[in-house]
Amino acid sequence: MIQTQHLCKRYGSHQAVRDLNLFIRRGTVFGLVGENGAGKTTTLSMLATLTTPSAGRAYVNGFEVMQDPAGVRHSIGYMPDSFGVYDDISCTEYLLFYAECYRVPRTVAEARADAYLEWVGLADRRNTYVNHLSRGMQQRLEIARCLMHDPPVLILDEPTSGLDPRSRLEVRQVLRRLRELGKTMIVSSHILQELSEVADEIGVMRRGELVAVASVDVLRHHSSAHRWLRLCGEADDEAWRGALKGDPRVVEVRPVDGGMEVLYAGTVAQQAELLERVIRAGIPVTQFVEQATDIEELFLRLTDGSAWDREGAS
Amino acid sequence: MIHNPLLLKEFRQRMRTVRAPVVVFGYLAAMALFTFFLLYENVQGQLTLLLPQRSEQVFLTLSLVQMTVSVFLTPAYAAGSISGERERRTLAVLLTTPLSPLGILAGKIVSSTALLVLLVVVTLPLYSLVFLFGGAVPAEVVEVFVFQIFTILLVAALSVGWSTLVLRSGWSTVLSYATVAGMLVFTGVAGYGLQLVAQRYPLDQFLAGWSGILFSLNPLWVVAWLEGAVTGPPHPWAWFCAVYGAVCLLLMTASVWRLRPQILRFLPRRPEADERDYQ
Repeated sequence: MIQTQHLCKRYGSHQAVRDLNLFIRRGTVFGLVGENGAGKTTTLSMLATLTTPSAGRAYVNGFEVMQDPAGVRHSIGYMPDSFGVYDDISCTEYLLFYAECYRVPRTVAEARADAYLEWVGLADRRNTYVNHLSRGMQQRLEIARCLMHDPPVLILDEPTSGLDPRSRLEVRQVLRRLRELGKTMIVSSHILQELSEVADEIGVMRRGELVAVASVDVLRHHSSAHRWLRLCGEADDEAWRGALKGDPRVVEVRPVDGGMEVLYAGTVAQQAELLERVIRAGIPVTQFVEQATDIEELFLRLTDGSAWDREGAS
Repeated sequence: MIHNPLLLKEFRQRMRTVRAPVVVFGYLAAMALFTFFLLYENVQGQLTLLLPQRSEQVFLTLSLVQMTVSVFLTPAYAAGSISGERERRTLAVLLTTPLSPLGILAGKIVSSTALLVLLVVVTLPLYSLVFLFGGAVPAEVVEVFVFQIFTILLVAALSVGWSTLVLRSGWSTVLSYATVAGMLVFTGVAGYGLQLVAQRYPLDQFLAGWSGILFSLNPLWVVAWLEGAVTGPPHPWAWFCAVYGAVCLLLMTASVWRLRPQILRFLPRRPEADERDYQ
């Protein structure tokens, strides 16, 4: 559905994107992650026909971005990272305007506008002027706008950037619902954790290059192999370490308030053995909880820490 | 054109604000006051002796003032059309729609001139007052009216062209007003200068010819010619249309490339587009 072959973009002497080879299958949600200046926006702009590549080829829905840009435009819904809205038109008029640009018949467009406004939680704002909406609402309206001509491909550049935590959550919910529509999506973000919630595959860009691609399932599989466990109970540090020392699957131990956190490389059944071992050592365990694995940390481990600039993620 | 979604949206946006009726009312009131002042000056408080020549002057003055005002107002509406989309950060999305670049440019030109055309239309009843006192024939009024509309569209096209090429409203406004100043001031002053020199050397047809061409490029002079107030080369409006039409064509071609750089994909060393231009 989306393919790039040795795609490059130069701005003078600066190589913004170099030798990018991507293959995204139909129906896949692909997350593109990287720090600011990694080349994500330039890549998405080339796919959206806004930027002409310096070299290489890019295909969207079978159309080459330079040879058949009109075909590409009909196939995509593009949401830039920094977008504005028109003044003095209502949400419905805004969606109908873009539908008319794609020559969607009026009756179909009106039905879709109603449906998608409902879908993104803006049904009660259909007559509100777009410039009177909050930023989070505008982001959701933009997603609805991308869907008005029913494109098979969505290109979303940092859809949650510049939002407060609540609005981020709302937009993420909309993105999760987008998956249900079966669209092929390429979504960029500089927050890996966020992308892992919506993407099937994740690619990491650094200094214009795609340095790693991993399936979120693979990441989750790895995360199931290494998990943090939190054990609480009244015992001193020495007693905890003594009890945990005998299990070869204990990778790392760190004291926390009221107990220990253990990085454990074992199955759920083996966790029971660990618990039994601790109880046998005479520690009255009051809590035994598996912690959510930090996917960024895992990605760092899988890519030897080279792929992801932690400062960029913060 | 009527199915241009951008045009319909712009009409809706521009005409639903309180600004539009206020501008129309203010302009009409100002022109009405000016017309009554001219007519009062014409009749000098008495209605027994009316000079058609004086009415002709009223008609000419009204036309020239209206032409000057509308030509200077047009860049205010058109010079920020495309660059304004970029500054409002709506251009990138607009360019990823299948709207053709010509459709975008045409929508912007027509929508930015709509209010000005309306201003010209609403002043037509004022012109009709001049008929009461003689001195103008309907054909002249129609000719001047059509030429005014054409000039407004032309200046709007030039301003939209600059707006697309430089993609900065400040620069676009400067370039648009420089163009208008060139049309009104440069052609007039240079044409008059050459005419003076040509009068001193009556055998030099070259200077006289250029003087006529420069005058033909001045919209105020063409209006005066249409009303028979000045004499010069035949059909100066043809020169006006040809020269400015060619300039518009050049600007529009460059603007189309600016909006859709892929049209030059067949060139081996094509200029590249940068998304930062549009955001």
